[in-house]
Amino acid sequence: MMTDRIASLWPEIVLFITLSIVILLGLSPQAQWRRLTHWITGLGLAIALLLSLYAPEVTGLPVPALAQFIKPAACIMGLLLLLGMSAVDDRLETRLAQGLKFDPLLTTRGEFLAFFLLSLIGLMLCTSATDLIWLFLALELTSLPTYVMVASSRMKNVGHEAAVKYFFLGALSAAIFLYGFALLYGATGSLHLDEIRAALVAQYEETGSVSVLGLMGVILSVVGISFKIAAVPMHFYTADVYEGAATPVSAFLAFVPKTAGFVSIMLLGGMIVGLGEDGQTWPEAFRVLLWVIAVVTMTVGNTMALLQSSVKRILAYSSIAHSGYVLIGIIAGPGLWAAGTGAAADSSILTSNGFGAVVFYLLAYGVMNLGAFLVLACLHDPERHQDLESLDDLSGISRRHPWLAGAMAVCSLSLLGLPPLIGFFGKLYLFSAGVSAGEIPLVVIAGLNSAISAWYYLKLAGLPWLGQPSAVTDRLVPTPYLGRPAAAFLSAVGVLVLMVAGAPIMRAGSEATACDWGGAASVAATTPSPIEAADQRQSMLPPDDIDP
Amino acid sequence: MHVPPLFTPLPLAIDPVAFNYWPIVLLLTIAVGFAVLVMIGTHILGPQRTGPEKETTYESGVNPVDTARKRFNVRYYLLAMTFLVFDVEIIFLYPWATTFRQIDADSQLATMFVCRILFFLLTSVIAYAYAWRKGVFRFD
Repeated sequence: MMTDRIASLWPEIVLFITLSIVILLGLSPQAQWRRLTHWITGLGLAIALLLSLYAPEVTGLPVPALAQFIKPAACIMGLLLLLGMSAVDDRLETRLAQGLKFDPLLTTRGEFLAFFLLSLIGLMLCTSATDLIWLFLALELTSLPTYVMVASSRMKNVGHEAAVKYFFLGALSAAIFLYGFALLYGATGSLHLDEIRAALVAQYEETGSVSVLGLMGVILSVVGISFKIAAVPMHFYTADVYEGAATPVSAFLAFVPKTAGFVSIMLLGGMIVGLGEDGQTWPEAFRVLLWVIAVVTMTVGNTMALLQSSVKRILAYSSIAHSGYVLIGIIAGPGLWAAGTGAAADSSILTSNGFGAVVFYLLAYGVMNLGAFLVLACLHDPERHQDLESLDDLSGISRRHPWLAGAMAVCSLSLLGLPPLIGFFGKLYLFSAGVSAGEIPLVVIAGLNSAISAWYYLKLAGLPWLGQPSAVTDRLVPTPYLGRPAAAFLSAVGVLVLMVAGAPIMRAGSEATACDWGGAASVAATTPSPIEAADQRQSMLPPDDIDP
Repeated sequence: MHVPPLFTPLPLAIDPVAFNYWPIVLLLTIAVGFAVLVMIGTHILGPQRTGPEKETTYESGVNPVDTARKRFNVRYYLLAMTFLVFDVEIIFLYPWATTFRQIDADSQLATMFVCRILFFLLTSVIAYAYAWRKGVFRFD
């Protein structure tokens, strides 16, 4: 019922009220009121976090528990990002300090924080989508503010260039997935996800396959959404945008739109999961498409990253590559959880639930990637008026800034997937889900890609310690805004803490994606492969027993 | 399931027996009548001073005969966007109003409905306050 839906939206409502206050307060002529906006945003996020932890479970959602994982994760990441974003929106403040007269037209602080919150609200709304229009609006609410954030985060032209590139490709992608939605509507006659699912299941039971039109709808939607996750056909903006935006905003882009994209892919994939020919998890065309996207995405991301000299571009291509890894979880599908036996298989969550691995990895990736980005934002080159940018700048910073070099090492080794860091567990869950689904060649390719990525991740981790300090390194000064190093260290600590607390979070992720996927149970339960996979998994250790 | 047609076919619409569009005809008459009345009224009552500037077509203060490919003042866009806020807001008020009529006036749901639409209206007030403070309506 509608009332229940709104009761589950309190975190979003609180964030909305917060942004209404912040956007007005940001225009105050008094500097102390304007400074207060960050605190109010933080308070709003904290309240939203509490509310999302104790939110009532809503019936009638396609994946009822998904919101209970994604929303708190979004709030926690939002708090970390907010801390790291200190002074990104300070353009006016510095000029006021130089004696400029206050003019509300010139402030960007309130708007910046408001757009930041709007984008987070969009991500949270994605999780509770029940129909295609809601999903579309939520996705666009996630993306539209980010264009403005990119443009307003830096005074330089690169920021504006990045925003324009980002906007046009974003508009194109919206057109593509909207076309996909239109085809889905044409194929099933409904906009509601559960009705679409029912119609497709009916088609499947009648003819043994999903109709071409419905399949095309899902495929086009996923291709369009691959813009949000920076996967290959739509990845071209990534490096330029991440480089052009202020560093904390790049970290934001690598988590919020990406998570929204993967949530949407899971919801849309939920339309056809278990409806493959001969009882496969996915229809063959969809599986092949995802397979190709995943392989090309991770390979392009990793090989292009090898050629970069800018750390931000390396991290941008690494973000592309990670999307490729996460797609393995999507290809693996919800696994045994779909068959309704997931709860019974709880003790061995190493894991056939690819979707659970996806949400876990998204959180892990968000934390470690944020740390890597924010280390760059912590050091400033006063001569070029920019933050730490290239690999040469990074060389030998451990002499003067050992803590920052340490945080960088932890985060980039975790991104590489070095055991026992959290990135390793994330990949372990993804790959084991892939193996349970019988996607062994894919997992082998992903493993090879991880090996390729070692080249540049080890450079990021090692250069600060082993490289010779250059002239640039000596003139780097730590940023005066303490929020940035604080957020960088918190992320690095998060990488270490999650490594210990990984198993419960993974279980939460599995439970969050557990549902019968709209009747997929009856279809998937007859599939032999998950049961064989269950036998294989018996020999694997549950993650509780892995001693980090 | 019988689905009523979305639009009445034209022959049926002008059938005098089944014709139920009288309110719309009345609205059209009032709209056209008001425009005609104002034009006649200004012709009779207003002073008749004319000039080349006054004889040109009214085009919100820009030259009506010129290339359209030139820079417009950014204020047009700001105003247009502010207009859009209220425009979209009104679109949402209609379905709300039609639904609200069907709710029992004494029930708790009715109160909740009013509170929600007030909250929704408040958001546009916030947008308005923001735009005002930002100087969107300042034309100097």
